[in-house]
Amino acid sequence: MLRKSVTESFGAAISSLNAAHLTDTVVHRSKRMMLDTLGVGLLGTSTAVFSKALQYSQLYKSVERSSVWGGSGMTLPPQYAAFVNGIAVHSMDFDDTWHPATHPSGAVLPALLALAETLPTQPSGLDLLLAFNAGIEVQGRLMRFSKEAHNIPRRFHPPAVVGVMGSAAASAKLLALSPAQCVHSLAIAASSAGAPMANAATQTKPLHIGNAARRGLEAAKLALLGLEGSQAILDLESGFGVFYSDYSPSELPGTDGGCGGGFRWVLEEQDVAIKRFPAHLGMHWVVDAALAARAKLGASGEPDLSQVQKVVLRVPPSRYIDCPFPAMEHQARHSFQFNACSALLDNQVSVNSFSRPQIDRPALRELLAKVRVENPQDNHPSFDKMYCEVTVEMEHGESATARCNTFYGHWRKPLSQEDLVGKFEANASTVLSQEGVERVVDVIGNIEKCPDCTVLRSYLQMSRPTTHLFREHLV
Amino acid sequence: MDFDDTWHPATHPSGAVLPALLAVCDMLPNNSKPSGRDFLLAFNVGIEVQGRLMRFSNEAHNIPKRFHPPTVVGTLGSAAACARLLSLERSQCSHALAIAASLSGAPMANAATQSKPLHIGNAARLGLEAALLASRGLEASPRVLDDTAGVAGFSAFYEDYAPRPLTSPEEELQFLLEDQDIAFKRFPAHLGMHWVADAAASVHKLLLGEQGSEVVGQVQDILLRVPRSKYIDRPFPESEHEARHSFQFNACSALLDGEVTVDSFSQDALQRPDLHALLGRVHVEHPHDNPANFDRMYGEVQVTLVGGDVLKGRCDTFYGHWRNPLTNESLRKKFRSNAGAGSFPERRWRV
Repeated sequence: MLRKSVTESFGAAISSLNAAHLTDTVVHRSKRMMLDTLGVGLLGTSTAVFSKALQYSQLYKSVERSSVWGGSGMTLPPQYAAFVNGIAVHSMDFDDTWHPATHPSGAVLPALLALAETLPTQPSGLDLLLAFNAGIEVQGRLMRFSKEAHNIPRRFHPPAVVGVMGSAAASAKLLALSPAQCVHSLAIAASSAGAPMANAATQTKPLHIGNAARRGLEAAKLALLGLEGSQAILDLESGFGVFYSDYSPSELPGTDGGCGGGFRWVLEEQDVAIKRFPAHLGMHWVVDAALAARAKLGASGEPDLSQVQKVVLRVPPSRYIDCPFPAMEHQARHSFQFNACSALLDNQVSVNSFSRPQIDRPALRELLAKVRVENPQDNHPSFDKMYCEVTVEMEHGESATARCNTFYGHWRKPLSQEDLVGKFEANASTVLSQEGVERVVDVIGNIEKCPDCTVLRSYLQMSRPTTHLFREHLV
Repeated sequence: MDFDDTWHPATHPSGAVLPALLAVCDMLPNNSKPSGRDFLLAFNVGIEVQGRLMRFSNEAHNIPKRFHPPTVVGTLGSAAACARLLSLERSQCSHALAIAASLSGAPMANAATQSKPLHIGNAARLGLEAALLASRGLEASPRVLDDTAGVAGFSAFYEDYAPRPLTSPEEELQFLLEDQDIAFKRFPAHLGMHWVADAAASVHKLLLGEQGSEVVGQVQDILLRVPRSKYIDRPFPESEHEARHSFQFNACSALLDGEVTVDSFSQDALQRPDLHALLGRVHVEHPHDNPANFDRMYGEVQVTLVGGDVLKGRCDTFYGHWRNPLTNESLRKKFRSNAGAGSFPERRWRV
């Protein structure tokens, strides 16, 4: 009988969490996550994958409609709005990353905003914030049910496993479902979980987040209609346990005593990492190390990179981010070699580093040919423990080595508020007008005091005139 | 209702494919609707792909423990069938399968719950979606079905995975359906129930012969010899769904009534005192020679009577199994009885 209680404890917690449980730290961190997610999502609406998903989603007509971010007046059925906006968030691998590894926010925020637009009574900013944190919390808890989740994934892409559960929990919270309905939301969502790693570093990867958002929302709506799944879904090896080879669930503590009574948010203990450029998180270590090595070489003026004889990267072993000669944008975002070389050549890595011309440039291809990768024994494929060391050897004998243990943006060294907002502004202004950008920053900054969170809908659609034309051409 | 066809290795192939194809037909413009032959071909592509995928692992040959098979192979089957009907190009067909892989896989724990049918519904829907996304140029892993070390593709769903290429139709292609037929159910329950139901029905006949009518009073003990499988071993099912997945329930129903039918799972039927009395007298054994495999399992029902006599019934191949297929007449009768229940009588003749 004890075994049955894990699932029930989740249902009870999701249902009973309230604003009083939110701590200052959690509010601060989750607001940063929300702003970052909106920014990368807006930028992501310029991608080919978003465009294809949007075209496909426009097949469907519905009575209820929710906004497409960055689209001027463009709406879709709510679950498809969640789908395309979620895809946009993850489309460039620019969204937040947690430990154990997943991309928590992209699976949750698009679902919540789409759902909020359909509710008869508009939820407040505080409702949104609470539901968002419920969705993050569930993901964090689920990932702690296995050791397998602590390392770079091999079988299932984590956002597709825990993301849909987070979306279901968040949506259930916003819908104010009963504890039993929250349980069934999770159970139904479990049947939508799981996508193989092979589709990571392909154009389909962002759909893992888009689908997590969409299908978690669907699960909550089906639960609201009374659909039932397994009430022991989180307890059983044949339930959520199927996604892990070692699965050991534990109860979510009761929320009755508030945060003093045994319940602590995972986000309180463990912050997220915010990316500085759109690539796999591992790339951030190698880039910071490469920049530092380059700086050492350039002590007496700009280094001449054509004189490089060899570049050695000491990185953790992981097949899917070890790509010596990436040909596609997705591969470039998942290549230690590419990111190190871009950093060496340009003294920075940014959104533009992954464009076609940049991938194809001869200077880069030449430098890539000189790269060797080593996997030191002490370098574990874990975002909490890994490091990157870069050694650059020049033809004339000079060499420089630098090591990065913690990149700027990692949870141990978080982005300053100024830099976080700066990232949002840079991303959002590619799509939104200046006014739109400022309004979103303002709303999110004060979300806990906002009486109606759906005001975001109009700000997220204050697009620049050129964006509108571009979108028309696509459709 | 768990009434749809079952194949070997185990999955429910048609439910994942037919609804998607019919939806595609509705989508296509009036001047390019597919012919019956196109449709039949697309259907068979969807079935064939499922069959091929299941032969990539030994794990797939037994009653499933982790992922519900229709959600693993069904989604790709639907994607393949829809890609075929939409006349997608070769590369688009590959991408459709790969996109579908990211939409596959649901845990067994939701089987015998109200969510189980969504597994097939979603397989159909998401396979269609995968094909539509591929038709718009979305790309996914070109090696999703391969066994690539360190990066799981479709292999993520299996513990042992050994894929083989599909022979090109230009060479000799033999459809799996040619060699391995399907089982049709005679009543809406998990396939395994059909063995115990037939075995119990033969004991019921003997019981009637002995004392005339009342079964419950005669029975002291019921022993079932069945394969080991947790999710169809339910001594006291509490819902219709659980009852459809209970050796015990189906055996006792057949002992009481001589058969199991659609009505055996109604709320009234679930709660009958006679049935509960019998359920309380059931023991289950898992003989070593009875594997959890639809090709090799058997069902044995042994009833010890109050007077000490022992009656036995055994079923190796139930009527409807691929080794003993339903006649066309029985199949049509099943269809009429199903289609007729709840719609106007004239309608069903047109299909």
